[in-house]
Amino acid sequence: MTVEQGVQAVDQFPVGMRVLAVDDDQTCLLILETLLHRCQYHVTTTDKAQTALELLRENKNKFDLVISDVDMPDMDGFKLLELVGLEMDLPVIMLSAHSDPKYVMKGVKHGACDYLLKPVRIEELKNIWQHVVRKSKLKKMKGIVTNGESEGNSDQNGVRANRKRKDQLEEKDEEEQEQERGNDKKPRVIWTRELHNKFLAAVDHVGIKNAVPKKILDLMNVDNLTRENVASHLQKFRLALKKITNEAKQQANMAAANSHFMQMSSLKGFGSFHHSPIPLGSSQFHGGAATMRHYPSNRTFAGMFPHVSSSLPRNLHNDGGHMLQGTPFPPLENLHINSNNKAFPSFASQQSSLLVAPSMVLEGHQQSTSPSFSPHLEINKRLEDWSNNIPQSNVHSEPDALGWNMFGNSTNQTYFCRDTDFGSSSAAQADSLQMKQQHENIFSPMTVAQLLRSSSANEGLFMGQQKLENGFMASDAGSLDDIVNSMMTQEQSQAEFSEGDWVWVA
Amino acid sequence: MDALVAQLQMQYRNYTVSLYQQGFLDDQFTELKKLQDDASPDFVAEVLSLFFEDCVKLIGNMARALDQTGTVDFSQVGASVHQLKGSSSSVGAKRVKGLCITFKEYCEANNYEGCVRCLQQVDIEFKALQTKLQDMFNLEKQIIQAGGKVPQVDIN
Repeated sequence: MTVEQGVQAVDQFPVGMRVLAVDDDQTCLLILETLLHRCQYHVTTTDKAQTALELLRENKNKFDLVISDVDMPDMDGFKLLELVGLEMDLPVIMLSAHSDPKYVMKGVKHGACDYLLKPVRIEELKNIWQHVVRKSKLKKMKGIVTNGESEGNSDQNGVRANRKRKDQLEEKDEEEQEQERGNDKKPRVIWTRELHNKFLAAVDHVGIKNAVPKKILDLMNVDNLTRENVASHLQKFRLALKKITNEAKQQANMAAANSHFMQMSSLKGFGSFHHSPIPLGSSQFHGGAATMRHYPSNRTFAGMFPHVSSSLPRNLHNDGGHMLQGTPFPPLENLHINSNNKAFPSFASQQSSLLVAPSMVLEGHQQSTSPSFSPHLEINKRLEDWSNNIPQSNVHSEPDALGWNMFGNSTNQTYFCRDTDFGSSSAAQADSLQMKQQHENIFSPMTVAQLLRSSSANEGLFMGQQKLENGFMASDAGSLDDIVNSMMTQEQSQAEFSEGDWVWVA
Repeated sequence: MDALVAQLQMQYRNYTVSLYQQGFLDDQFTELKKLQDDASPDFVAEVLSLFFEDCVKLIGNMARALDQTGTVDFSQVGASVHQLKGSSSSVGAKRVKGLCITFKEYCEANNYEGCVRCLQQVDIEFKALQTKLQDMFNLEKQIIQAGGKVPQVDIN
């Protein structure tokens, strides 16, 4: 639906708007569905984030808006939010019982159009259609801008060509140069996410030492991009990397003494967990001299992690091991996770990020990014705030070790696995007990054991209803597990890191 | 018959108001009732039964998490509590929701005794609510069977 249509048909448009509602809590889902129906929207519901993604991927145009809960067992709501934003560019509204502003902030930074608190009221839902209109309006504007850019570039080339012909006739080399310079100033190239990714891939391919604009330009193979564009971008890139390393060193000193910081970072670790479209940028993070890794084109969660373990820790290691102690990252493994996750999303999904990793972990650091990266500041901010915000992992984490352990010990896995044990417990015995409990008014406090017995029978009922996606969690946790473990070991035996030409850019 | 209907309706009104006054229910429950109409006449009952199912399941999760011989994973307990808080607030189960808030604090403080106590209380509360609501629904049925309409109860 175009903006014009949306605006003109305001009376009709909100009616029949197609909403996808995702919430693992069946009570809330039913209420939400009914409320949405009451607003005359067309509603599709699912209690699994994975199913939601599949539905969306099947046909992007099938839905106008997504409403998703934040705490879901099979996938973190923020992760889903990010994926939907990246892949389908649909407006996403977050829903949660967490009223903590940090969660709200996290939602907004991850790109949520709105953040609603449970219990949801119908008045709030009546206005959500505005996000659809707003988004399509933005898309339209963006389209105009990028079109303008490419047109400008081609004009530039065209003018140059004309100029050259004239020069041949008039022998005006100076004019040609002037014209080129003049042309260069004309339409600014917007370094979009995709463009930046190509840039990164090219730099990775040639190696940071060999990164000359001409080669990068050739590799990128992008029309209407000049050597000069690439050159200036490369310069900024190098400057940013330099800055990161400097900041990282400073932070290492500060962070070591700061326990609060550690706590924050452990939280961040979780927060970054679900930044699945991650790590292309890991190598960049280490910036300058380090050999860039080839960036996998897919941005899946699992796909990224194999790179994670090798990249960041190494660099840290090369810095005299000092970094490992937690420089860009607040001390402890938590930081490692944080930094890894952060670095990746920034590079892969957004264009800014070189600064991200250490900046992300360190509060307030984002401000120190090079001003020339201002277009990316917003993205950087997002990334930084991911680290700063409370993680809303599926399981509410304790700070520090426990949180970290979530990845390492696959506590998540066990958490969900536990639920699947329902059926195996003493169902038969519990059955009669359960019946009794429901029909008799047994109000005396039950012991934990009694509660266990009584509820285990019921779980048999719920097994069918809620199949906890151990697989999903397991695969994620497994990969995270690997990374975390590898980081842990690397911390201890830094010799493992000697792969590649990782050199910390000074 | 009218007298019976009137009497039942009066009973129903009083009973419902008392539930609010005693803190079993809050405004959210009123909102739920508003969503019930001829198209979905059993909406409230449906939602509440889903809620009670959830209660049983979540309490089971919490009990299992607290029943660990060894270290208790409080974050796991906390996750279930959080979910219960979400659903109880969505249906208007005021007391259960209030308990969840306290319960959550105990989880965050890793207070085993506190958690166990809360768990027991949550169990009691949701069952009490279940009974009360069952009585309320029964009254509704009686009114309809007696040929009357279930009155809209105005909570101050």
